[in-house]
Amino acid sequence: MTSVASPSSVLNIDNLALHFLGQDSVVEALKGISLHIDKGEVVGVVGESGSGKSVTALNILRLLPRTKTKIPHGAVSVLGRDVLTMGEKDLQHVRGGEVSMIFQEPMTALNPVLRVREQMFDVIMRHQKITEGEAERLSLNLLADMKIQDTERVFNAYPHELSGGMRQRVMIAMAFSCNPKLIVADEPTTALDVTVQAQILNLLKERARATKTSVMLITHDLAVVAQLCDRVYVMYKGKIVEQGLTRDVIGKPQHAYTRALLNALPEGKKPKSRLETVAASMIEGADSAAAPVVVRTTIQAGFKLYGQGQPLFEAVNATVSYPKKYNLLGRAISFQTAVDHVNLSITEGQTLAIVGESGCGKTSFANSIVGLVPLAEGELRYKGKNLKDHDDLTRREVQIVFQDPQSSLDPRWPTWRIMTEPLTVGKSPSRNELRETAAGLCEMVGLDPSAIDRLPHEFSGGQRQRIAIGRALSVHPRLLILDEPTSALDVSVQAQILNLLLDLQEKFQLSYLFISHNVAVVRHISDYVAVMYMGKVVETGAADQVLSRPEHAYTRTLMDAVPTLERAFAA
Amino acid sequence: MADHQISKPEGPVAIAKAEGASLNPLDPIARFNRSKLKQYTNIEIVVASILFIAIVILAVFGAFLQTHDPMQGDLMARFAKAGEKDYLLGSDHLGRDLWSRAVAGLQWSMACALTANIINLFIGTTLGLMAAEKEGWARTIIRQFTDTLQSFPFLVVAIVVVVIVGHGFVPLVFTLGLLAWVVFMRVVYAEATSIYQRDYVKAARIAGVSRIAIMFGHVLPGVRASLFVIFAFHFAGLLIAESALSFLGIGAPLGVPTWGNMLAESRQYLLKAPGMLMVPAGAIVLAVITMNLVGDGIASLSRKRGRSIDV
Repeated sequence: MTSVASPSSVLNIDNLALHFLGQDSVVEALKGISLHIDKGEVVGVVGESGSGKSVTALNILRLLPRTKTKIPHGAVSVLGRDVLTMGEKDLQHVRGGEVSMIFQEPMTALNPVLRVREQMFDVIMRHQKITEGEAERLSLNLLADMKIQDTERVFNAYPHELSGGMRQRVMIAMAFSCNPKLIVADEPTTALDVTVQAQILNLLKERARATKTSVMLITHDLAVVAQLCDRVYVMYKGKIVEQGLTRDVIGKPQHAYTRALLNALPEGKKPKSRLETVAASMIEGADSAAAPVVVRTTIQAGFKLYGQGQPLFEAVNATVSYPKKYNLLGRAISFQTAVDHVNLSITEGQTLAIVGESGCGKTSFANSIVGLVPLAEGELRYKGKNLKDHDDLTRREVQIVFQDPQSSLDPRWPTWRIMTEPLTVGKSPSRNELRETAAGLCEMVGLDPSAIDRLPHEFSGGQRQRIAIGRALSVHPRLLILDEPTSALDVSVQAQILNLLLDLQEKFQLSYLFISHNVAVVRHISDYVAVMYMGKVVETGAADQVLSRPEHAYTRTLMDAVPTLERAFAA
Repeated sequence: MADHQISKPEGPVAIAKAEGASLNPLDPIARFNRSKLKQYTNIEIVVASILFIAIVILAVFGAFLQTHDPMQGDLMARFAKAGEKDYLLGSDHLGRDLWSRAVAGLQWSMACALTANIINLFIGTTLGLMAAEKEGWARTIIRQFTDTLQSFPFLVVAIVVVVIVGHGFVPLVFTLGLLAWVVFMRVVYAEATSIYQRDYVKAARIAGVSRIAIMFGHVLPGVRASLFVIFAFHFAGLLIAESALSFLGIGAPLGVPTWGNMLAESRQYLLKAPGMLMVPAGAIVLAVITMNLVGDGIASLSRKRGRSIDV
């Protein structure tokens, strides 16, 4: 496949460089990229955060602040016309008329105070000379094309009255409303659940085929690209490192980075095997302080195995409910059940994964175990005894690692203080003792021990997650609850964190309760899986069995919706 | 993410050239340009610091800087113009030196506003933290009480209270101190509530860290930057409130040289001696602008350090 643009190109970017001007530094976001999209093509642009893929997309419509950016060289043309030299008036015509965008977060992309009706009219009537009646008919048709059943209701609804998937359908309908030649979709399904994602991607593809519209799909998810795109460009640090037909690039990657990226995916790898990580030299700055895992056994020397065969932790009819309505005196009179009579058990040294989509109650369940929300019914047993009846020290053997490493570390505290905070409860160890412990913990989680004086904002996302894991390990936990620990991270960093978790489990015989919506990750790390749906556990069993031969209807839907490289090629 | 490469020329000489700075190591501008200080400084902060330092010097060493006894008049030298008969800013209807009175007034007003502000800070922060910490009756009562207090016009309430408890420094300070804390409570409550939702507070609770330790270890440091900012802005507000009460004759005791009293006295001689109005009014304006600049400066500093937003 060559990168030579044919005259029929809808979009043509030629050797484009773009710099962001900071107060006293210049960041080279794009370093000379060339790409083209032909009529009716679906082209993927893949890369991790900071690779420049969103910048490329925004620059097509000149949506970046002009005073803060500089374009040293290169050209961008849409339908043969140069966008970079175009006046604001012509740009208005291109935006929404010839090129339209779909953003990641439909809640912020739609105006919350206007009905869908007004927002669609706004777009349609700006670019087409038609009456309101015609615009209404057109809008309803577009919504119907998006497989929306009750088009009238959606048409007259405010964005907050619609679900995330429905909002994204409206966004796509609006994007198609003026018959654009090119649609730029920037991570259109990243904020959505897997089952919804599958529907949205199919819709996007179908409509593009039917209307012969070109699509530029920007994503970090290789499986989505494999399923949807004809061609793909791989971006890395502001450069395009590989391009070609999707099948070639993913099947026979040539560039070292593409290969590393594919190897970092847990999909198709032997469960519990250590994933290859993108070489530290390649992702410098992303996770460069990560040292090889060296474990100081003195820190955790005291751990005792609870006993083979018996469950370390059990949930018996665990039920969590939140008050929904209050009476005049402020007492709750009706409840919403988030977790509905859940029965689960975890044996020492093993991983139980809870899989489910947003709102299924998996995080509420995790919060109830660590005591952040009370149990309405049922019992949580740890080492054969009700968790509540244990003393504080034993209760602390159950620790949690949160999803978002941005919010889980106090931005004002140095690393050593964050990691050793649990050790100061009821005791006051000296500063030096704490710093030494922190240095040990740093080594344990693969961070440079000399980093203990740094503040959280000096670390990358993956490193912050290591600090959070280190904090949990400081109190010698036996059960670690991992609430979506990798979903905020890039693929290559995710691989490193998964490897770390597997190493730690092997060394200390830790038990994990791994909460995730990512089936590939779950398949990789867990021994047992519980599938949750609307507060209930609908299926449990050995990971391989549940994920490969699902019995319950919901599990099957979930498995079918997950985009995989394998299935993309089979099709 | 920060994994874009930042293009940087190699070597100190190249850096200096790129920044257009002189290579002379003694050149203070070049050094300043390269220093960290530059990042944290702008013209606003420089002006605010100069004015603020001037006010502090006047407040502390006022007694040495007064050219006359602020209480002692010379009936032979009434309504002197600025610069006349060694009156720096002129004299008033009793022949008292306006400069010396303005300096004395600064001390009185500053002391009053500062003390009241500290009381406000303490009450507002305590109540804000208590309300944010936990849902329940304490939160309901504190919020209702704050709302009620805020729904009364502040100066009217203050007038009523001062009329009842009487004149003087202590009653005035306590009236302002006990009534004007609403802004502190509101800001602390709002910010603390959001901090209590963060995962690091949850992690601390799970680890068994006590409520008090969480409050003083995580939450209070989190609202600290905002507290500084409100403290400065509120200071300006209290200065005005104090002057307003004195102007109405119910703040400082009559005869005491405060800006409000000076303004009140100037009313009858407005046309004859406009200086009597201009001096205290100018002093109030300058002091209020200074405190507002200081507030802005602290706000922009804490933004630059990335602490108040990077949370």
